[in-house]
Amino acid sequence: MSSKSQFKKLTYLTMRNVKIYFKDRMTFFVSLITPIILLVLFVFFLQTTYEDSIFSIIQGFDVDQKFIDSFTGGWLFSSILSTSCITVAFCSGMMVIDKINKNNIDFIVSPVKKSILQLSYVIANVFSTLIIAFILLVIGLIYLAFIGFYLSFLDLLLIIFTIVITSLFGTILANIIWIFTKTQGVVSGICTLVSALYGFICGAYMPISTMGSGMQTFTAFLPGTYATILFRQGFLNGVLNEMSKTLPNEMINGIAEGFDVRMLFFGNNVSTLALILVITISTFVLLGIFLLISKLKFRNNN
Amino acid sequence: MEHIIEIKNLKKYFGEVKAVDDISFSVNEGELFAFLGLNGAGKSTTINILVGVLTKDSGECYINGLSIDNIEKILPTIGIVFQSSVLDKKLSVYDNLKYRAMLYNITKNEFEDNLKFFTERLELNNILKKPLEKLSGGQKRKVDIVRALIHKPKILILDEPTTGLDPRTRKLVWNFISELIKNENLTVLLTTHYMEEATIADNVVIIDSGKIVAEGSPNVLKNRYASDYLRAYKYDKEILNILSDLKLPYKKSKNCLEIIFKNTESAKDFLVKNNKYFNDLEIVKGSMDDVFLAVTGKELKENI
Ligand SMILES: Nc1ncnc2c1ncn2[C@@H]1O[C@H](COP(=O)(O)OP(=O)(O)O)[C@@H](O)[C@H]1O
Ligand SMILES: [Mg+2]
Repeated sequence: MSSKSQFKKLTYLTMRNVKIYFKDRMTFFVSLITPIILLVLFVFFLQTTYEDSIFSIIQGFDVDQKFIDSFTGGWLFSSILSTSCITVAFCSGMMVIDKINKNNIDFIVSPVKKSILQLSYVIANVFSTLIIAFILLVIGLIYLAFIGFYLSFLDLLLIIFTIVITSLFGTILANIIWIFTKTQGVVSGICTLVSALYGFICGAYMPISTMGSGMQTFTAFLPGTYATILFRQGFLNGVLNEMSKTLPNEMINGIAEGFDVRMLFFGNNVSTLALILVITISTFVLLGIFLLISKLKFRNNN
Repeated sequence: MEHIIEIKNLKKYFGEVKAVDDISFSVNEGELFAFLGLNGAGKSTTINILVGVLTKDSGECYINGLSIDNIEKILPTIGIVFQSSVLDKKLSVYDNLKYRAMLYNITKNEFEDNLKFFTERLELNNILKKPLEKLSGGQKRKVDIVRALIHKPKILILDEPTTGLDPRTRKLVWNFISELIKNENLTVLLTTHYMEEATIADNVVIIDSGKIVAEGSPNVLKNRYASDYLRAYKYDKEILNILSDLKLPYKKSKNCLEIIFKNTESAKDFLVKNNKYFNDLEIVKGSMDDVFLAVTGKELKENI
């Protein structure tokens, strides 16, 4: 059969999978728990907490409130994006849900290759995650436009790149787990667990730099952490630059390190390029693992 | 003549349960074939093996002369309605049908044409935009049937398609399917526990606990397995003595006497000889219910 007709089948299956995710209000809501919690906490006390710790760093120096607002706002949205790209990826997969609901049976009796069907689940998973991430990004940009917008075009590119690579990373990781999952309980369990916990691990609520040294070392070995730092840089480098016009360098460095805009790996500063490489290479390694496992699994099934 | 579906010595066990236990039958092109049995007889298991949802333990199945081991080659030519719906409840009727139709080698225009044809005939065109979960049971079932037909298959497999449908809808569905059999030479393999559906079939296989217990056209089956009855409403009491002498089985109720015969022939003979004892009577041929009772020893319940 021609590759054109295979592509057509893949396209329609993917559209179907994406649509189902967005129509299922319950999973949709669960995957957005973290951003919602973040937003609520931010409004009620996190913003003040962040402001207080900035003030304690700049002690007495005068900074325009606009910068502070833009910084805390940027911090909020970098948190929201770095968690959502992972949590939505973990909650928007239709592969296992279809298998549990026996909805995949209709595709078994349709002239579709099993590999095309599997691929459609993964691609749909990535698309659903990207759609939500970009909607959140637009909301964030609009918010920043109101309170103080200092992002350069390059910052924006960095954010977009990080959204794409983190969504891929999260999706592939989730799908590796789904290969071994057969029950509804495990799926919604993992989805809820990741939704609830990932925010803490990636420092979405409180910066990693404020965690204990054990925790800091642990997070340094999680590729997701590198994505978080990239989001921080994309959202916050601009406003830090503006602030550096009136504040001494040590203070800017203090804020940058205190709020995870820079990452130290055993005391050494990790460059942006290195951050990009770590998350990109990790994603490709996961992809390799995923393909290998699916291939072995697929062979056993035949 | 080449059989469009051929099943030879098919077996499928689930642990101790012999769901399908060495069954063989074949279906001719363009016929309505009924697979009749009680719940748990093994009907769905057989169907699911045939379309590749379940694997068989042993035996051979051919569709269009191709072994089901090459199921990909067969799938474009068959359409199936599963016992319970496998469509997406949250999606609209239109989306459900489109996303599935486009998995066959048909263009978008062909899909729209087929959709229009089937939904008009099954009276579904007003509900295309509604999500499946908002439909009535009958509407859902009709959507399942359109799904199975949307790519114009040669073979339609129906697993208890009319369970839970109201009589009017059942009639609508059957009229339409009969028309497709006549005009498009569609072959239909149907599982059912409804007698009336088995009665209109060209051929019937009766399955009980995974084994075939009878097969043939409804007429052949009735002649072979079902008794005929002579029902007398006004009669001379003397006949009871004659019946005892002849050792003929009978049932007597307040307003009628029912004499049971092996076949129509012996009923006729008896009547010719004893005509004078009867004033008002009828001879009734056995029904498929009687066939079913005779071959399985179990009552078939019409209403579930
Ligand atoms: N997946 C399964 N696992 C174990 N037993 C099964 C399974 N599917 C069917 N059975 C058993 O096999 C027998 C036949 O079932 P089925 O084919 O569904 O019957 P029918 O469709 O005629 O009602 C039943 O006893 C049923 O309990
Ligand atoms: Mg069944």
